[in-house]
Parts: sequence; C-alpha cells; structure tokens
Amino acid sequence: MSTSQTQIAAQLQSTKSLSVSRSWLDTFIASSSASLQRNVPISALTQTALFRVLSSDFRDTLTTTDPSSVLPVDIFDPTVKERRLSGPIPVQVLDIEDIGSSLWSQVEAIERVERGEAIRGREIVRTVNVGEDSEDWTSNNNNNNAGSGSNGPHRLILQDAAGTRTVGIELRRIGDISIGKLPIGAKMILRNATVARGMVLLTPDCATVLGGKIESMDRAWKEGRKARLLARIDEMAREERQMSGSRGGDAMDE
Amino acid sequence: MSRILCVAEKPAIAKAVAQHLSGGSFQTVPIRGSPYVKNYLFDFNFGNPWGTCSVTMTSVIGHLTALDFESNYRGWTSCPPGALFEAPVQESVAHDKKAVARNIAEQAARSKALFIWTDCDREGEHIGTEVRKEARRGNARILVKRAKFSNTERAHVLQAARALIELDELQANAVAARIELDLRIGAAFTRLQTLQLQNLSPILAEQPISYGSCQFPTLGFVVDRYLRVKNFKREKFWGIKVMYTRDDIKVNFLWRRVHLFDRAAVTIMLERCLAAKKAKVVKVNQKPTSKWRPLPLTTVDLQMMGSRYLRMDSQKIMKIAEGLYTKGFISYPRTETDQFDKAIDLKKLVEKQFPDNNWGQYARDLINGKFRTPRSGRHNDRAHPPIHPVCWVAPSSLPTADDRKVYEFVVRRFLACCSEDAKGQSTEIEIQYGDEFFHANGLIVLERNYLDVYVYDKWESSQQLPKFEPGEMFEPTEAKIFDGKTSPPNYLTEPELIGLMDANGIGTDATMAEHIAKIKDRQYVATRNRGSGRSSVQELIPTQLGIALVEGYDNVVTGLPDSPSLSKPFLRKEMELRMREICAGTKTRQQVVFESLDMYREVFIHTQRRINMLKDACRKYLIEGAMS
Repeated sequence: MSTSQTQIAAQLQSTKSLSVSRSWLDTFIASSSASLQRNVPISALTQTALFRVLSSDFRDTLTTTDPSSVLPVDIFDPTVKERRLSGPIPVQVLDIEDIGSSLWSQVEAIERVERGEAIRGREIVRTVNVGEDSEDWTSNNNNNNAGSGSNGPHRLILQDAAGTRTVGIELRRIGDISIGKLPIGAKMILRNATVARGMVLLTPDCATVLGGKIESMDRAWKEGRKARLLARIDEMAREERQMSGSRGGDAMDE
Repeated sequence: MSRILCVAEKPAIAKAVAQHLSGGSFQTVPIRGSPYVKNYLFDFNFGNPWGTCSVTMTSVIGHLTALDFESNYRGWTSCPPGALFEAPVQESVAHDKKAVARNIAEQAARSKALFIWTDCDREGEHIGTEVRKEARRGNARILVKRAKFSNTERAHVLQAARALIELDELQANAVAARIELDLRIGAAFTRLQTLQLQNLSPILAEQPISYGSCQFPTLGFVVDRYLRVKNFKREKFWGIKVMYTRDDIKVNFLWRRVHLFDRAAVTIMLERCLAAKKAKVVKVNQKPTSKWRPLPLTTVDLQMMGSRYLRMDSQKIMKIAEGLYTKGFISYPRTETDQFDKAIDLKKLVEKQFPDNNWGQYARDLINGKFRTPRSGRHNDRAHPPIHPVCWVAPSSLPTADDRKVYEFVVRRFLACCSEDAKGQSTEIEIQYGDEFFHANGLIVLERNYLDVYVYDKWESSQQLPKFEPGEMFEPTEAKIFDGKTSPPNYLTEPELIGLMDANGIGTDATMAEHIAKIKDRQYVATRNRGSGRSSVQELIPTQLGIALVEGYDNVVTGLPDSPSLSKPFLRKEMELRMREICAGTKTRQQVVFESLDMYREVFIHTQRRINMLKDACRKYLIEGAMS
C-alpha cells in the first residue's frame, strides 16, 4: 500500500471508525491520480474519500474482517433479553418510520404537501379549539399543518458492511433522526449499543450520525413512501378482519 | 333656525336617536310609498357651529342602491359568461327603495346639512355615500357630516350628535370594490356552471347552481372535514400505564410518549421499566396556576360561543344581537375589537347591572374592590368597542327566551372580563422508570373568581395527589400495556366553521353567519344532530351536490401549479386583504378590482377549458351515486 493510501485509511479509521476496504482504496487512489500529481494535501483527499464513502453502499466500501465492526448474525434473536455491542459498528439506514404518529396521519400530511399546502401562504388551518382563548389557536394549529419532519420516536432498519440487518428503535431523541432529515443510505456508528429482544436501542450516547446518503435508494424510498403507508394500512385492516373472523365473532355482520 | 336632515341605517335606529335627541317629544310623519320608514321632526341643539336646528330624522333600509349589468347583459344567455368580467355595470336605486330615496332628496332640498347616522362599519360608510348621493340630487350644495356612535344609549347618542366627523371614503370604496367583485365573479361562475351542468340531470335543472367567492371556500371546509371523516383509517396503538398506591390514593402516571404505533417497541420499553424495578421521582413541580378570564367579546366570539353554549345558529344570534343593539341594550354587535379603550368608564357599566337578581350581587362585589381592568386582545378595528351591555334590562322587557339568553351571555361575559382570573394550584410529579418518563398532574381550584359569573367555562379540581419527594424511589404497584384505536375527527360544527373561516381569513366577522346560512339554503350543506339532549350538537354534512362541486373545482386546477382551487380559502383571503389595503389607503378601488378580477379570470378560463372535470364530478355523485 502506498503511503497516501495508508494515511487515508488510518485517518478514516481513527476519526470516523470506518475501515475502508483495500480494493476500494485502490480504485479511489487510481481515480485521484491527477490530484496526487498536483500535490493536493492528503487531508483534502481524505475529505473526498470520506464524502464518497458516505455516499456509497457500505457493503462495497468497508472491510468486514474485524468481527467487532459488524453486527452479530443472530442479532434478531428475540429470546435474548439484553446484550451489548461494544463496536464501533458502521451501519447504513435502509428505512425510517415514525412510530409516534399513525400511518394515516402521515398519509394526510403527504397529501397536504401534494396539494401545495406546504407552500407559504397556501397553508390551511383545519382545526380550531372552540371554547379556548382565541390567542391559543395558532399554536394549536401548527401541529396539524406540519408538512415535513417528524417527532418520532423512529424505527430504523440498519445494515452493516456484511449485509446483516437489524431494527433500531430511537429510545431517546436523536436530533439528526427525522423523516425528511435523515435520508436512506445515511451512515451511523454504533458504540456500546444495547440490543433488547433483537432491537438496537438508539440513544445519543451510542449512535452517531455521520451523514451521507445513497441517492438512488433515497429517491425510490421517497417516491414509494405514500404507497407503502397505504399498503400497510390495508394490510392491518386485513389482519384485523382475519382476527375477528378466526374468533368467529361478529365478522359476519360486516 | 337651520333645517338639518339626519339619516340612519334602519327605522328603529332613527326612532331611538330621535327619542334621545328630542328628549321624547317629536312629531312622526309617515312617508309616501314606504310603510316602514318614518320622518321624525323635532328641534335639537347640535352645539357649535350649528346651534339649535329644526331636525328631520329619517332612515333608509340597508343599501339604497344595487349594482347590476346593463340590461343587454342580464339575460342568462345574453353573452358568454366570461364577458361578465368586463361587461358594463350600473348602479341604480333598487326598485323597492325608490320611495325612501325620493324622501331623502325632498328633505335634502329644504335642509342646510345632512348628518349621516348609519352604523359605523364599512357597510355603514358605503350606505352613507349612497344617502349623500340621493341628498345631493335634491340639494347639490348640502353640507355632509357623520355621527360616530357604537350604541344607542342616551348619553352616547347626545355626545355623538355634538361631535360630528366626516364620512370615511376609503371604507366606502372598499365596499364598492367588494360589491363589484361579488357581482362579476358571482355572476360569471354561476352562469357558467348552471348552463353547463343543468343538462346533466333533472336535479341540477331545478334551480341555478349559484357560486359565491365566500360561499365556496366555506363549503370547502365542510367537504374537507366530511372527506377526512369518511376516508379515515383506524389504527391500533399501544402505551404504558403506571399506577402506584400511596396513602390509599391510586395515582395514575401517564406516559410522556402517550402512545406509540409499534407494539414490539412498546413491549421492550415496558420490559425495561419492569427490569428497573424502582421508579425515581425526578420532578415535583408545585406552582400557582390560573385560568384566564375571557377576552372582551368580538363578533366572531359571540357567534362561536353563542352557537356552542346557547344552542342557536350564528345567524339567529346575530339577528337577536342586532335587535338588542337597536333597542339600546347592548353595544354594536359587529366588531373585531377585543380591547376596551381606556376612555370607557367600565365601572359605570358594571354598576348598571346592580338591579339584577342573578348577577347584581356579583356586580356589586366587583365595584366593592374585586374589579380588575380587562385583558386586552390583539385586535382593534378602530370603529367599535368590544360588545358589552349598555344598560340593565329587566327579563320581562325582553320578548323571548332567546333574547334573554343572548343578553345574559353578553352581560356575563362583560362582568367576567372585569373580574379576576380563577386561581389554583397545580402539581406535576414526574418519574423515571427504566428509560421511560411518566407524569401525574393535580389541580386544586383555590379561587373561582370570574367562573362564578361566567357559567360557561368549566375548571374543576382533580383528585388530590399524595406527597412525593424529589429523588425518592418507589416500586410502582402496577405497570402494564394498554391498547386503543385512533378515532376519526367529528363532522364540522357551526362554531368550528366560524373559527376556521376566521383563522383562514375569509368573510368579515359580520358576514360569516350569512355565508353559512347561504350554503344551507343552496342545499350544498345539510345539518343533523349528533348526540341527544343538552349535549347534542348540530353537525354540517355536505350534500352530494356540495361534494361534487368541491371535487370538480379541485380537479379543474389539479396539476396547475399556481392556481388554487375555488374551494380553498386563498383567493378570497387575498381579496379581503386587498379590501383592507383600500381602507388603509395603500391601494385604490380600481387597482383592487383589476387585480382581483385577474386572479379569478384565470381560474375561470381553466374552468371553461376543463369543464368536463366539473361535469364528471357531478355525474359521479349525483347520477351514479344516486343509483348505487
């Protein structure tokens, strides 16, 4: 390995806990030869490398040789009440959901944006509190007009460099985690994270958001979000019907 | 002695003012051709520079003139509907107002000056200019002044008569612009949709399908809520409930997260609570709290609170309030102002309520030390004070139970404004249990104050909480998961609709009730009762036609980025903002008329091009919907 390769790899490892793979580094250096010839400082080159790694798929860019930097393959095991992952484990976000809001309220919020009501001056106040002091109205109305953003807590699907997936629950508020703010393919580092019944409990102490995204996945996720929400609502209704059907109760009345 | 002609907006005001100015002795002369309007003759000293004058007090009955298209544009098929945006219009004295107009011209011919006593709001200023026009027909050199008053109580009227001001031309211009816009836009869309839709179904041919730039967004709110109720999907949620018994009191702690929509997540959160065994008290917050007395009463509030507490629709409340004002019992009921001017002697108004059997004692207590200066809201229309009682009225002097209810509401609200806030002590205990936070709240009402007279507000003590120390640990008696389901919003009620119209800037406070009545009249909206007995409320449900029109107009502009639907409040809101600009003098009447017509003309062209969208929606709801 050339000196610059070693330096970049060491930098990414020590500052971001990312161990990039040899083959990716080779390709990166090859594509950066022009910069190297122009004597671009190594720190600037490291920045470029970091930016590319954060926009990449970790499965293509990181090594999986150190077992402490990947998720245990049986992480999903619901019989394990609690275990700890010392890490650091780099992961990427495959999905984000707001479990503090109903699916339907999220669909309604998307539709408000579709109708152009998120544009300044085109907002519609839809609820008022009759019987409260009129000056309270504005504050009460904001929540039903919020076009973007979400308060959580959020449920994430995370994936490590080896391709192992896990569910992450935002146990305590993490500022960077919010729909619209945290894109699909965004990168995080887990350190000393607790896993309970197969779910990683995310707190500001154990989860650091590095940023980045995977453009193609993020676009597809956004475009398909409303349809997925609606499909899940349908699915829930179907399950509900089956449940009441199997109980043999009042299903016939419907 | 100079002759002076005084003209009020309604016969009852003319009579009330005549009574006060004349001291009770005046001569009544009927006028030819109008059974309602009378001339009242008396002498009065208006002070400098007028001195004692011979007065004729008369009135109009609302607007004198009406705006219409020239006769060759009046037929339904006389021109393409779009031509009505530019077609020539003319203002003329309405047919049934001819006798009243003639009376004014005749009286003006013999008078030195005209004093206008129309209501002091935008419409009143415009009516004032109409009266002036007729008066000048009879006497081109007549001097014109205006009396500024907000109730018909004697001292107030006498004072207004001696402090005359000028008519507000800007406000009159704003009304003129509004009248022209309503005529052109209303007629163009009404003709377009009626002509295009009437052949679809016999139901649609029964009557014109009228359009109004305020009615449609009003209808839009009703339909929007209806569809939200209809489309709503129920979802299950889960939460954690913690209970702890101390000193024989069961304290329920509520989860800070309230509930979540992921059962697995809630399950592990509970498991971690239970694993922690003990909860820790992280906060004990005991502080004085108060429930604020209401703000001074505005028209919007009167309509909202009234239709909620008094079980009358807003139009009826306004009609009764108008009557109470005309008789001099309450101040002018059309006002946006929710702050009392410092110059008003509020204590004197409170004292007037002493004789009442129900709240007289309360009024005395206020004067004996409990009086507080009312809170000030943020609105001031600079024309009228908040609605308040002008004098005490014996219940027997009020003809109906509804009159008594509205008067009582105005009085109680006024006394509440002049009272101390209700005081209490609130306690909040917060605990951490595992990774989760829970809280319990308590309230003790210590002094009811304004609540004693304002019987419409409720504020009651909760269960008493036992004592907790910050930092102490305890093992909850019970912690478990509960589940529930989301529920749809309710259908819109009239008070809510008024609130929505106000919050979205459509309709002036004074006209909201009329717009709501209109969409009921047009059969775009029907009412039905939810619940029964005292807790029943009237809900607004759109008819098939109402839904079809909203959906049709929404579809017309779908995909057009800068064209908001007619069912949405924006276009009308912008128009009303422009009216305010005329009043403020920052825009002229012509500018506003041109700009607003341009906005609506654009939507009109889209509607014409995509008229099939409107037809399809009507077919969907009125023909196919009716068959299934």
